[in-house]
Amino acid sequence: MRSPSKTCIFFYNPQFSDFDPIDYAELIRYSMTFPNVSRIWKYHDFIWNEQNLTDKIEANGIDHLIVAGLLPGTVKTLFSKAMAIAGKDPANVILASFNDYYTGTTFDMDRLKSVLACLIAGLSYETVAIPDENPVNPATLVIGGGIAGIQASLEIAYSNNHVYLVEKTGTIGGKMATFDKTFPTLDCAACILTPKMVEVNQNPFINLMTYCEVQEVSGEAGNYSVRILMRARKVNVKTCIGCGTCTEKCPAQAPSEFDYGTSMRKAIYMPFPQAVPNKYMIDAESCIYLKTGKCRACVKVCPVPDCINLDEQDHEVTINVGNIIVATGFKPFDAKKMDQFGYGRLPNVLTSLEFERLLNASGPTGGNIHLRSQDKKGNWIFTEEAEKPEKVAIIHCVGSRDKNHNKYCSRVCCMYSLKFSHLILEKLPGAEIHEYFIDMRSFGKGYEEFYERILEEDVSIVRGKTAKVEERNGKLFLRGEDILKGEILENTVDMVILSIGLEAAEETRDLSRMLGIPRSEDGFFEEVHYNLDPTATSRGGIYLAGTCQGPKDIPDSVAQGSAAAARAIQSILKGKIYKDLISIPLETIEKRINKLTLVQLEEKHL
Amino acid sequence: MSVRVHPELRNQLMQFGIGDWNACYHCGTCTAMCPLSEEGFLFPRKKIRLMQMGLKNEIESSVEPWLCYYCGDCTSTCPRDANPGELMMSLRRYLTSIYDWTGLSKKFYTSEVWEIGSILLIAVLVVIAFLIGLPAMGYSFTTELTSQGGVKINSFAPIHIIEAFDWAMAIVVGGLLISNILRMYYKIIWKHGHTKVTFWVHVREFWRLVFNFSVQPKFGKCDDKRYWFSHWFLMSGYTIMFIVVVVFLPWFQTEKILPPWHLQRALGYYATFGLLFGLLVAITGRMRRKDVKFYFSHVSDWLFLVMLTLTVITGILIHIFRIYGMPYATYIFYIIHMAVLVPMILIEVPFSKWSHLAYRPFAVYFQHLKTHAVPRKTKINSIN
Repeated sequence: MRSPSKTCIFFYNPQFSDFDPIDYAELIRYSMTFPNVSRIWKYHDFIWNEQNLTDKIEANGIDHLIVAGLLPGTVKTLFSKAMAIAGKDPANVILASFNDYYTGTTFDMDRLKSVLACLIAGLSYETVAIPDENPVNPATLVIGGGIAGIQASLEIAYSNNHVYLVEKTGTIGGKMATFDKTFPTLDCAACILTPKMVEVNQNPFINLMTYCEVQEVSGEAGNYSVRILMRARKVNVKTCIGCGTCTEKCPAQAPSEFDYGTSMRKAIYMPFPQAVPNKYMIDAESCIYLKTGKCRACVKVCPVPDCINLDEQDHEVTINVGNIIVATGFKPFDAKKMDQFGYGRLPNVLTSLEFERLLNASGPTGGNIHLRSQDKKGNWIFTEEAEKPEKVAIIHCVGSRDKNHNKYCSRVCCMYSLKFSHLILEKLPGAEIHEYFIDMRSFGKGYEEFYERILEEDVSIVRGKTAKVEERNGKLFLRGEDILKGEILENTVDMVILSIGLEAAEETRDLSRMLGIPRSEDGFFEEVHYNLDPTATSRGGIYLAGTCQGPKDIPDSVAQGSAAAARAIQSILKGKIYKDLISIPLETIEKRINKLTLVQLEEKHL
Repeated sequence: MSVRVHPELRNQLMQFGIGDWNACYHCGTCTAMCPLSEEGFLFPRKKIRLMQMGLKNEIESSVEPWLCYYCGDCTSTCPRDANPGELMMSLRRYLTSIYDWTGLSKKFYTSEVWEIGSILLIAVLVVIAFLIGLPAMGYSFTTELTSQGGVKINSFAPIHIIEAFDWAMAIVVGGLLISNILRMYYKIIWKHGHTKVTFWVHVREFWRLVFNFSVQPKFGKCDDKRYWFSHWFLMSGYTIMFIVVVVFLPWFQTEKILPPWHLQRALGYYATFGLLFGLLVAITGRMRRKDVKFYFSHVSDWLFLVMLTLTVITGILIHIFRIYGMPYATYIFYIIHMAVLVPMILIEVPFSKWSHLAYRPFAVYFQHLKTHAVPRKTKINSIN
């Protein structure tokens, strides 16, 4: 690209874009300082049609035209045409799309100016804006031990580099460990996940830190110093033999986090039988000794001396790493926010995650589908003595595609709901299943085929979201509209499953401040470029994997985990890592432009 | 029968109220949430669909907008912020303008200048009639008081002239309203080529019109009963006042001060309380904007409330001043009273918001006619 002689800039900021946060006046002032910029036009300066533009290009003798703004591509054709009519090269219409060029949503003035300066000089931003490099510490921190974090850790560990895997709960495995089957292949989730979890535990390059939380991150790309809070597990992970005697004797109970509250666990517990590490831990909030100072039943029965230390305190460690992979996952939508479905009030309205546990062989009912029933004390619990549902309704899009809650589509709900239909029919042959959807989103490899397979099974799949669920005569009464028939649809069922969507995890907010990486409007972490760089963040050496970047299914999370690991390994192999993209000051960019244009001029003379 | 699509309909309807007709993705939540939506007469989603497709004729022949009493459940649960409740309200405004053959209704709804301008014009005419017209006809008022100490109101506003004017106004307004209802009937029932409604059904279902006019049971089915009561209280007060003022004016506007328990005063007090109570609920509701039904206010909504409130307050003041013998105050407020009342009735009843007093009960009547419609014998059938 040669240095343009007579350039004109057109700032495209249509008035209808209310969210346009850019200070155009400042950009215009800046552009005027370049000698080769002959004209600057704004959106409101003239009625811009072909004829008008052609006249202006001819009258001013313009060779290059830069269209700058949030979505300049929408008007490019018009400008190219006008250039062609004026007898100039239509390829000389250059777009300065502020949405691209790593400007993200922050719209830092210096970066916008940098983009403009590069384009005015006839250079692309990418060739100029190359950040400085730092030497890199080969150790990597992975935050979050779900499937994405596990995958990323393993990939890096296989390259014989050290990984710290920090997990907030007592076991790795994340949400996937709680699932029964995965769509569309109907693989047993535990069967494909647990080998990976065990590998994480056994790999000498992985330092597994469960029940830990990241407290503070300092430093820069290549050398981050991370302070980690190690919560007191109160059971020595090294000596615990996982015999389970303590759990048997423990008198205190609390709802199980792993079973999403559908079952009870003791105060000293293992999250689930295949937990990694396969060791017990104590929940300080429900432990009687920690509340009243009396009990110590677990200590008395433990066969290993000094294994349980009820007085253990939290402590902190600081580690140094070169790269950080964030894989903190999602939080399920709180179905209580949509009162019309009665979740929390009606015992047999379940969320999809609770139902996953119900389907799972390690769940509260041993994998049999039973209705929730009352025990002697009046608590609603799942037991294998309770009746089985004959009619089940599945309501899609709960909390997703809803402007009152989350605007976005959570991507996985349609497919897991179809999977539920199949699994219910497998476990309760002859059961009546109704799926209520708005739009069926079965994108992805093998998904549409899976949908067709379910359609052939005996499932009624109706278009029209259910409006409300009420209790009538001990059963659940649903009211909705069948859109395609155009009729009011009323149905009485035994069990309702709400296909809840995915939300950004609670810790996303704190982490984004700690790590200095932006979040997008929907609360998830923001990637550098949606299409071309979905794993990197605007901070060097920090990458994203899994649902913390946006709702996605297991295959995509795994793929992104591997991709993030590749980015970390890339820097480790090279021994150097790029600093943050946003850290390049405007002066550096200007200096580089000068240098590069000089090189170009020399080449020309040669 | 071919279906004609009117793509311009969307822009036309946008002038009648707030709401995004294109936001709807047809999940059906609104229809299922609605306590009034029933088999065969489903709304709001189906009406939004008709609008999105630009089916003007289908919209004009639908009764459903009048069956909606705007509880706001649809709007508060809509996942798309499409605001179905307000869209139904806009449809009612649009239909009012469609039933009206003079074209004035559309002007009043879509142009504030037209609406407020014509109200002011009529008000000025009323003031001129009182200040110049009556003296020119040879009537002069007296400030003398009656033996009871009351104002001689009939000397200022001669009862037979006012009564004649009332009747003339009632006939004009009634005539316009009836012709509009006939047009409504034509569009909803008559135009339907495939079905017909027998005369006997018309007679048999007539009670629904009377019943719905006087009780508004559909409003009661909408979730909050308090609003039904305040609306019914206002409506009954207004109806009583209207009948008394138009039909029994010589009995109502007397110079003799009757005891408070006399039917003349008792009816007046009932109507006043009913109107004031209903207005208070509506005005505070629209100002607090807490309930969805009061969240969006069109100019026509506010004008109606303000004018009715002014009418009631001036009416009360006339009553007080007359009894306590303050002739000038009485006469001034009599002029103001008429200057608000006359334009309100002339503009609002046939052309604007107040026409719902006729369209709503008639819509329920037509709805039941529609359900009892039988297929019309076509020529092919008769050959067979």
